[in-house]
Amino acid sequence: MTMTQTARAQTPVMTGSIATTAANEAAKAARARRKRNGAMAYHTVGAAIVLFFLAPFAIAFLASFRSGTEGMTPPLPPWPTTGFSLDSYRSLDTFGAGVWQHTLNSLVVSLATVVLTVAISLLAGYGFSRYRFPLKNTLFVLIIATLMIPFQSILTPLFIILAKLGLNNSLFGLVLVYVTLQLPFSVFMMRNAFDAVPKEIEEAARIDGARDLKLLVRVLLPLVLPGAATVAIFAFLNAWNEFLAALVLLSSNDNYTMPVLMMAVRAGRLGAINWGAVQAGVVVMTIPCLIIFLLLQRYYMRGLMAGAVK
Amino acid sequence: MSRAAAIETPLEHGRREDTGGVQLSGIRKSFGSLDIIHGIDLSIPEGAFTVFVGPSGCGKSTLLRMIAGLEEVTDGLIAIKGRDVTDLDPSDRGIAMVFQSYALYPHMSVRDNLAFGLKMANTPKEEIERRVAAASAILKTDHLLDRRPGQLSGGQRQRVAIGRAIVRKPDVFLFDEPLSNLDAELRVSMRIEIARLHRELGNTMIYVTHDQTEAMTLADGIVVLRDGRIEQVGSPREIYENPANSFVAGFIGSPRMNLLKAKRVGRQSLTLAGAMIEAPFPTDIDDAEEEITLGIRPEHLTVGHETLAGRSLAATVDFSEYLGGTQYLYCQLADGQAVTVEYRSSVPVRSADPIVLSWSPQMTHMFNGDGMRIKPTH
Repeated sequence: MTMTQTARAQTPVMTGSIATTAANEAAKAARARRKRNGAMAYHTVGAAIVLFFLAPFAIAFLASFRSGTEGMTPPLPPWPTTGFSLDSYRSLDTFGAGVWQHTLNSLVVSLATVVLTVAISLLAGYGFSRYRFPLKNTLFVLIIATLMIPFQSILTPLFIILAKLGLNNSLFGLVLVYVTLQLPFSVFMMRNAFDAVPKEIEEAARIDGARDLKLLVRVLLPLVLPGAATVAIFAFLNAWNEFLAALVLLSSNDNYTMPVLMMAVRAGRLGAINWGAVQAGVVVMTIPCLIIFLLLQRYYMRGLMAGAVK
Repeated sequence: MSRAAAIETPLEHGRREDTGGVQLSGIRKSFGSLDIIHGIDLSIPEGAFTVFVGPSGCGKSTLLRMIAGLEEVTDGLIAIKGRDVTDLDPSDRGIAMVFQSYALYPHMSVRDNLAFGLKMANTPKEEIERRVAAASAILKTDHLLDRRPGQLSGGQRQRVAIGRAIVRKPDVFLFDEPLSNLDAELRVSMRIEIARLHRELGNTMIYVTHDQTEAMTLADGIVVLRDGRIEQVGSPREIYENPANSFVAGFIGSPRMNLLKAKRVGRQSLTLAGAMIEAPFPTDIDDAEEEITLGIRPEHLTVGHETLAGRSLAATVDFSEYLGGTQYLYCQLADGQAVTVEYRSSVPVRSADPIVLSWSPQMTHMFNGDGMRIKPTH
């Protein structure tokens, strides 16, 4: 046998179509049926889970619009039966220094926490990602390790330190505590974000003449925006919802944040709990979180994925 | 060697002074106690296209990055156009670099990518627009100006990356394996494009690659590096036809040159694979029985069936690769040494066929035990 013959025996050959029409049609129909059944099951389960998650929000939202007397009773059924009313919101405003004041307190604390956390973790993450310095990894692990300390256990020392600094009962002191608690996770997040930015982009920018802050703001910040958005969302939610530190560190009524106010509302007056006001408070507390999340979720999703796949 | 080639070829420092291009003298680089570059002296003439080539880890990229200023120099001096730039910031050196990964700014449009360096240098707006338009006209990327890098194909991205370099009007272009991320077809067309660019702009260009086809086709001068040292500097033809040592001989050329272990017996003859053959040229070293390496390129071996005493060797075909125009035969000599042969005849050759290889002495090189080329004595 010559070489050419050997080659021919091992070469694929083009053939005519083998499938017959009838058998082919039957297989096609079966395939379509299977696909339809699968899709129906998938969407039914999905819809059930979505309802399960949405129910608490819907209940709180509807119950907050019950009228005054109805609001004093436990919310069963949770929707207004005697007409739509804003009584619950009005009575919420009678607690503490008024709901606007406390919302403002919470907003100031949360936004300041976000700004400080993002600024510090941006710089720290950049440093940990790009510079070489002695004990770099030890330091990084040490920062991460602080996540394992339950923060309730250091509340007393924190209180003493803030008192010594004259920052007890001040919103700024509270912000400092929140930023401290938020930083380990944030630095970790930002380091990963910077690690995911190819070095060449930075080098190209250096050749183009961008240095230091210009480099960070003009070139790198847009690239780590997903990470920064994730850090911002977490900082905001945690600062907005934090209760224990706010309760311990703030002592005057005017400075209370929303969670502390809500405790007062939930404790009721002389044993009588205004359920309507509680639900109204829940709605008021939910709205800013929803807004922040909806604004940033596009980046947030990408942030969590950063580095997973190249 | 013609005069033009001599001018266009980079020179190892000391042979000739040239103040126009890039001068490297005594360049060293170490990371901690690890030495990467061991003292490089090189003079690259202005306007020349110079290619640094070498295997992975030979320090070619590090050397380029040192010229760019992205890597600090441990010791030595770098001068561009007669100006000492050793301690200058990358943006002040008059260089532009094209990266393997393009390194475009993904959040900016192509237009902004091109303009970024000029904006950083506070160039007037009309000037920026003019230069961006000129660069995108050269590279035919006009229609892409408003897109983001993510919406471009690999070839288009590399065009933009080159455009970003052109806009800066640098004295020296630095290319760090710019075509490695492209598919084979694009690589060829971009290679031609880069050659055209060099002809049009006439700037000094330094190009790092491990692809010897790129090196051979683009270069005025090739610098072959190994382990942080220069192995040879010369025009592509010099490097191919007169390799200084067995490393350069084996590295340049595809498939690589056959480097066969042989023993010298007297002035005139060698033993190779148990057979006595004529030496390509007489040598005047009397040290008999010296181990040497005989270098023959695959295209210089001829397949025959008749044995010529002293001028041919018997071999057996292991397997062959059919490439259409030509065929590579992978053979074994009597003592098991592998030999690659380029075969162009239409007479079929099968595995396990015995063949006889012959060659012409002019196309044969000898390297001594240290790998250095043994030159004919005249």
